[in-house]
Parts: sequence; C-alpha cells; structure tokens
Amino acid sequence: MSMPVTDKTAAAKKESAKVRRGNWKKHLVHLFLLPALLFYIWFQIYPIFSAFLNSFFAWDGLKRGAFIGLENFVRLFTESPFQETFFRGLAHNVIFFIGIVLTKLVVAFVLALFINSKIRGKEFFKMVIFMPKLLSVIVVGFLFSLILNPTYGALNTFLKFIGLEELARPWLGSPDTALYTIILVNSWYGLGFAVLIFLAGLQAIPSEIYDAAKIDGASGLTMLWRMTVPLAMPSIMVMTILSFIGAFETFELIFAMQGSQAGPYYSTDVLATYFYRLAFGSVAGGESIGLGSALAVVLFLMISSATAILLFFFRRKEYEQ
Amino acid sequence: MRRVGVWLFCAILMLVVSACSSSSTTSTTGEQTTGAAPSPAVEPAKGEPVELVMYSWRPEDKDAYTKFIAEFEKQHTNIKVKFKPFKSTEYNTILSNSLTAGTGVDIVQLRPYSGTTSIADAGYLLPIDDVKGVQEIPKAYLDAARGSDQKVYGVPLSINSAVIFYNKKVFEDNGLQPPQTWDELIHVSQALQAKGIVPIAQAGKAAYLLSIAHSVIGTSSYGGNEYVDKLLTGEVNFNDPAFKESIQHMQELAPFFPPDFIGIDDKDAQALFYTGKAAMYINGSYRLETFEKQSPDLPIDILPGLAKEKGGDTPMINWVDGSYGIAKATKHPEEAKIFMEFLASKEFGQMFSDDLSRLSAIAGVTPKHPLVQKMTQLSERSMAPYLMLVHFGEGTPTTKTTFEDSLQGMYIGKLTVNKVAEDTQASADKWFKPKK
Repeated sequence: MSMPVTDKTAAAKKESAKVRRGNWKKHLVHLFLLPALLFYIWFQIYPIFSAFLNSFFAWDGLKRGAFIGLENFVRLFTESPFQETFFRGLAHNVIFFIGIVLTKLVVAFVLALFINSKIRGKEFFKMVIFMPKLLSVIVVGFLFSLILNPTYGALNTFLKFIGLEELARPWLGSPDTALYTIILVNSWYGLGFAVLIFLAGLQAIPSEIYDAAKIDGASGLTMLWRMTVPLAMPSIMVMTILSFIGAFETFELIFAMQGSQAGPYYSTDVLATYFYRLAFGSVAGGESIGLGSALAVVLFLMISSATAILLFFFRRKEYEQ
Repeated sequence: MRRVGVWLFCAILMLVVSACSSSSTTSTTGEQTTGAAPSPAVEPAKGEPVELVMYSWRPEDKDAYTKFIAEFEKQHTNIKVKFKPFKSTEYNTILSNSLTAGTGVDIVQLRPYSGTTSIADAGYLLPIDDVKGVQEIPKAYLDAARGSDQKVYGVPLSINSAVIFYNKKVFEDNGLQPPQTWDELIHVSQALQAKGIVPIAQAGKAAYLLSIAHSVIGTSSYGGNEYVDKLLTGEVNFNDPAFKESIQHMQELAPFFPPDFIGIDDKDAQALFYTGKAAMYINGSYRLETFEKQSPDLPIDILPGLAKEKGGDTPMINWVDGSYGIAKATKHPEEAKIFMEFLASKEFGQMFSDDLSRLSAIAGVTPKHPLVQKMTQLSERSMAPYLMLVHFGEGTPTTKTTFEDSLQGMYIGKLTVNKVAEDTQASADKWFKPKK
C-alpha cells in the first residue's frame, strides 16, 4: 500500500522543517561562542590592531600626529641608535634561544630519559625538578640577583670558601658573563616544565618495540637515536617551538635582574627590553609610542612567521617518518 | 529545555552587550573629559567629602605624606587625599596609562623639566599659574614645571643637590682633609685605598648614578654656569676638550670605586658607606634621609662640586626634583587647586623640609637640619644646574640616557672617552637647538 502524494509531500515538508530546526540549533550552539569571541576581539585582536595602527603615525608624546606610513619602520632599521640596538637585541635573542636549547631542552631530555627508566623515587625527582616553576619569574630574578651579587652573593662566597676564588666574578656585572648567566637561570627555572613534556612523550612510546629491538640486537645508543628520539619528536617539537617563542619574548627575568636598561651597557638587551624602553621609557616621551609600536609589530611578525616555519619543518619531518 | 537554552543565550547576550556599551560609554566620557576644559568645582555636600587621588614615585615618603595630608585634611574637612606611591621605575608607565585613560588620578607627581613639558604639551594637565603661592616660588624653580606655552603646570617640590657625602670619622681617623679639587680627590682616594678603605662607594648597575657622579666631578674640568651657558648657546659642544677631560676624570676614578662596581646596586654602595667600609658616596641630597634612617649615628658631612683650582668656585649642582600638578581629567579641579595651594604654602614647605631633610622649593622655608642648612648656604654662594637632567633630558633615547649608558660602556671597556663624548653629541644633535 502506497501513501497518497499529498501525505508524502506533507511528510517531506515536516521532515525538512525538522532538519531546518536542527540546523538552527546547530547555529545556536555557535552563537554561544559570541561572548568569548567578543572578549577575545577586545583583549587580543584590538590591541594588536591598535599597535599596527599606531606604528603608522607620528607621535608627539601621548599625542598622535600625522599619518607617516612606514617611516617608523624605516627609522627602526636604518637610523642610529635604533638600528644598532635592534640588531644587538635580535642577536641576543638568538643567543638566548640557542642557549635554552642547549642548556634546557638537552638537559631536560636527558633527565626525562633518566626518570622514565626503571629508577626508584621517580615522583620525588619529578617534584624536585618542577619546583622552581612554582615560583614567580620576578621572585626567581630577585633571588638570583642576591645569590649572584658580587659583594655578598652566596655563589661567590661559596667559591671563595672552597678555595676557588679565581672563579668568583661579577656574574651579572660583566658583559662576558651576564647574558649567559641569565640564560642559565632561565633554564633552571623552566627545566621542570620541559622534563614533564618530554616525559609525557617518552611514556607514550610502547615498551614492546624496545623489547623487539633488544631481541634484534640493537644497542642502547641505537635505540635512543633510531627509536626514542624520532618517536618523541612531537614533544621535542612542542618544546622547541615554545622555547623559541619564550626566547624571543623573554623580558621578566632580564628586567628583574638587570632593569630595563638590560646592562651592563646593553649586554643583556633583547628585543622585548628594547621595546619596553622605547614604548614606556618615559612619560609622554617624544616619538617613542610610534617607534615602540613599530618594534612590537616587527616582533609579532618575526615570532609568528618563524613559528610557522618551525611548525612546517617539524610536520614535514613527522610525515617523512 | 530548548526554551531555557534560548532564554539563557539571550540573557548572556544582553549581559555582554550591556557590559560593552557601559565600557564604551565610560571610555567616551573619559575621552571627552580629557579633551574638555575642567568643569567648575562643585562644592561637595556636607558629609560627602571629595577624594583626590595623588600619585607619587616616592613610596619611601609615605609616612611623611600621611602626616602632611592629615594636616591638610584638618583644615579642609570636605577634601580627602589618597596618597598612592609607585615604584620609581614603574611610575612613568603607570602615570602614562592613567593619563591616557583619563581616570584614576587627580594629583600627579611630575618629572622635572622636559618630563613636565611633554605631558603639559600633550594636554593632560591643568595650568596652575593662578593658584595662590605659585608665583612666589623662585622663577628658576618654576621653570622645571612649565609647558611650552610657558604656563606653570606644577608646584615644584624640592631642590636636590648632587653632593659628595663623606664620613667625617674616617677622614679624621686617617688625618685627611675633605677634597676641594680634582688633585685633592685623587690624593685623598690614594691615601684611603692604601689603608684598605674603599675611597668612593660608587654603584654602576643603574647608569644614572654615573651621570650624577659626573655632575659633581665634572665641575673640576669645565667649571659651572659659564660653561653651561656656552653649551646652551652652541659655543662649545660635548666634543669640547674640557668636557672630554671630565669624562677622562670619571675613568680615572674607577680604581677608587668598589671592586666590580658596575655589577652593584645603589643599595650595596650605600651599605658600604654607612658601615664605614667606604669613605665617600656621591648621590643626590635626598640620600641624607636614607642614611639617617639606616644609621642615625653616622658622622656625615657633604661636599659640593669640585673646584678647578685650589680656592676656586665650588658650585652646588642643583635641580628641581619633580613637582605636583593637576590631571586635566580630574572631576574635582577646584578641590585639587585648594590642595595645590597647600603644597605651595610655606607651612607645607617647612614640614616637607623638616620631616624629609630636604631642601624645599618654597621661598622663605628655613631648613632645620644643619646639613640642609649648609646646602642652602652653599647654593646661595654658587650654584650650577645638573647639566644633563636640566638641559639634555630630551631625545629618544634622551641625551642624558645616552651619556650615562655610554659612561657604563666606558667602564666595561666597550667605549673610549672620545666615543662617549661623540655618542653624547650625536644624540644632542638630533634635537638640541642652541639658543641664539
């Protein structure tokens, strides 16, 4: 028995109305994102947009002047002392990143391997290594400023006490050691987080493949290089990208330990401290808002494009494997 | 259930829309207030005192201000003043944000000279020429609080002097006389060093301390006001041999500073001085109060700028250390002016000088502290401005900043004496126009 045509049409209409209602409901769900989106636009997109906008104007103190196109950017890259300060800061950021990779990521990976092996007291080691991360960066900066003080600091006092007086030096007061000292403090502070990320990556590797490799006669080093490192690549990738962003955004520790001048004589100056001086160095300070905004834009573009390249590189590597 | 969802959504949407609209209303109002002329003061109704928020970069003066404000509030029961000090290094940023937003502050502490001019020119301050007492303040001091329109925007607070503090006991115990010339300073420093005493407790981590020290030492090379005038008229510049000699002198003093002085803070240098490990310490006269708090029995005295030759002129290096002005966006301009009157009064000046051991900018104030009295007398005899702060505080970065950072560069071996002078001149060339 077949349904009459009118009935069929009515049923189809009913069905389609139901689908439409379903679609509307789906869209309603999207609308619930609106409040969060408004906040995101207000607090994230708008400041970035306004920095972009400010960088195209001349500034006289806090007063916005005429539209000057790319002049602030041109001055930043060609005019003394902005040019030297920019490239010096950039070089320090690169050193910071390399330093962090060597002293934080490599050490953290080794520690993660150690904790991931069959040792007793894993949780204790994890806790101890992660503990510095619970402190505020400013507190860490302050504490290390005391420890490294050339007059009464604990480090130099200890070195003198154990007869290594010749090693005692003004760690933060010499241009030869100041930046490296801050890199080491930064690595000490962030080590625990890197260890946790690596540990999560290592624990995700199934133990069976190691058993199989052992049966095939693979040495420990071969297993590390051919199996552990490639399989832990996602966590290595995450940490490298985070470290890159961290190195190029680094500010608080340098500010806490060396002030906004990033001394001595700019030996610890990075792009973020340079930005701080340019943008906030003085109340209504001349043209600083335009130049500071231009630097912020350059910094944003540099970090985002370099992060995209790194991601692309790692993804391709992952795909090849 | 669906209806509940829809109502919930509508409620959230309304909440967000109302929040956004109220915030935009606030900001618009703020902008309008910022740009508009101050509305006439409305006398607050009885029982509703007006509150003025006062920003400062001197947290260390909080106790003293609590006392000053209590005195003011006793006389003006309808006005309450809330003193909000911030760390000096963060003050500029906080003030800049408040002024731009047009909220949060009524009375602002203003950096002197170009620091005030740029804020006044940007239209964030109310002129206070008509406030009672302001015109009685010496003109030279009011110059530190003017806009480009020559109107006065702040009540100058105190006069700072860059001085050499010295420990009288250390000098007496070692049979030394306080130095008056460059040669004497070197001689005294060598003698102190031979006895194992740090001659000068100089810190170099914060570069501005080096430029303060230079202002006191530099007079032994280029003298006082006469040279300042030559610089301002363009007759000489920073590449002049006399100015280079002053930088050379700074370099020659390095062996008499504490070991690794570029790595130490001002607080460490102060500690060396008030524990008697160092004999001299160079900084602004505002440190007098610090030493008296830290070590009340410390037998200290002060020395002005060094003379070019024995018996020559020893100028006091002076500058106005900030002033208090009124934020244009204040909702209580009349009450703020009443408070300005109080700040410009002899009564406040006297309390300020007595409680904080500082030299008040208000005419007719007699300092109680013998050392502040001595500073006043020395200033009356001969006075020169703190060259870098008073006349070269402009540019991006400022010429003052370039100079002091270059001095730091010289001490760590990155720059020569000539390069310090050249960099300083290059910075000044970008903005400084000699007076004709």
